[in-house]
Amino acid sequence: MCIGKEIIMNNFITAEGFEKTFRYIKLIEQGIFTTIMLALFTVVIGFILGILLAIMRMTDFRPLRFLAYGKKGRIRNNRALVAISKFNPIAFLATAYVEILRSTPVLVQIMIIYHGVFGKLIEIPSFTMFGFLKSNRFIPGVVALGMNSGAYLCEIIRSGIQSIDGGQTEAARSLGMTKVQTLVHIILPQAIKNILPAIANEFVVIIKESSITYTIGVQDLMFAVTAVQGANYIVMEPLLVATAVYFCLCFPTSKLIAYFERRMSRGDKR
Amino acid sequence: MTNDKLLQIKNLKKYYNKGAIKALDDVSIDIHRGDVMVVIGPSGSGKSTFLRSLNLMEEPTDGQIIFHNIDITKKSFINKAGKKEKVNINLHRQKMGMVFQHFNLFPHKTILQNMILAPVKVLKMPQEQATEKALALLARVGLEDRANAYPIQLSGGQKQRVAIVRALMMEPEVMLFDEPTSALDPEMVGEVLSVMKELANSGMTMVVVTHEMGFAREVGNSMLFMDEGKILEQGDPKELFDNPQHPRLQDFLSKVL
Repeated sequence: MCIGKEIIMNNFITAEGFEKTFRYIKLIEQGIFTTIMLALFTVVIGFILGILLAIMRMTDFRPLRFLAYGKKGRIRNNRALVAISKFNPIAFLATAYVEILRSTPVLVQIMIIYHGVFGKLIEIPSFTMFGFLKSNRFIPGVVALGMNSGAYLCEIIRSGIQSIDGGQTEAARSLGMTKVQTLVHIILPQAIKNILPAIANEFVVIIKESSITYTIGVQDLMFAVTAVQGANYIVMEPLLVATAVYFCLCFPTSKLIAYFERRMSRGDKR
Repeated sequence: MTNDKLLQIKNLKKYYNKGAIKALDDVSIDIHRGDVMVVIGPSGSGKSTFLRSLNLMEEPTDGQIIFHNIDITKKSFINKAGKKEKVNINLHRQKMGMVFQHFNLFPHKTILQNMILAPVKVLKMPQEQATEKALALLARVGLEDRANAYPIQLSGGQKQRVAIVRALMMEPEVMLFDEPTSALDPEMVGEVLSVMKELANSGMTMVVVTHEMGFAREVGNSMLFMDEGKILEQGDPKELFDNPQHPRLQDFLSKVL
């Protein structure tokens, strides 16, 4: 059982392999920490971006509206002009963003953000965060993941806002509240409650998807796995450890959120 | 009833599909301070559209709504200093309370929070003062013990009474009621109507779209009968009920009474 000494990858699962893996416990711990940080930062960026995009998609901003009306304020018969008058550049930008980000692989997006945007356009100061984390890897990773999940969260938030009965807006506006006050105090609190399961699901997806950032050298859990694999010529043991860790992160998270969801819905019941 | 005109509606029109559907077809009427105006008519007659146009919940296609000497359907007006000023519809809506058929209480807030939200956020009333006022109003409609309940815990009649006092928190000059009892169980209609009656007796200006003919006759001091977007007959409710002139109103009353 000492195949590990030979220069061949050992495909079998051995106790020795696990022992070797756990020698790198410090690296794995750092990886877990990084994965959690990635997911937290991503969900915050994604959520803020998602709300902004959702609001952009729901604006009623039509700068070319005047094209539809003739001299007496009547709607023209020219269909092309009427169609152009409905153009909303803000909603168009947001929709284009969402559709592009949802229709391309996250791996490609990460590569473009890392090599293209942060490689050429924006320079990030290189420093070490939390004693080990390289900023010039971590920041592009978080930005790319955040931009991606923002597109998905936008659609979740938009559906949540649109699921709120129109009577709520009418009641708030009839009391003299502004559009923004109505959104902040009436619509968003109810919408967020409704979409909490979907957001929680997205958070779990982000924890798992963050593993892809190891391709640009972010020192997350997957990065630790490849390091251990390479140093010891073992394949399965570090992967199984990573599997267990990812499961232990995701499963309780979804259960925890399900618990809070039940507690929050108490106000809805008699 | 005084001659003080609170709301002047002039040639109000609301068209859909480029005029193919006329929900409001050239409606003109004055609402005086202290009026209790009841609006009746068959469904689809435009009575709800008329009411909802008054605080611009529906944007009219054409016409004027003059409130405090300002045409609130326009984007701007000329103020006393002779300068052009934007019409801030939120400011005018504060002065027009509205009660809806489906109550539209905020389900994520308690009764008390429902009531103090707008006064605190819009009028910048101190929280304690708003709470005190809310509790006094709740006592007036017999719901002071439900202040910390959520809307879902109340019956339909209780919800509508809360909706009425929530609108009163803003101290409106006119209250608009959009079929306030239509979504209620029959046994709860009375409690809401009695609150409305008390409100009318206190001198509040009210516009009430309703199917409650008894209420219209007893509490209203002017009545509109609408059909196909037009006011077909108007006048004193008792007069109209006892001696309807327009054949459409005669027909309508023969069916509902």
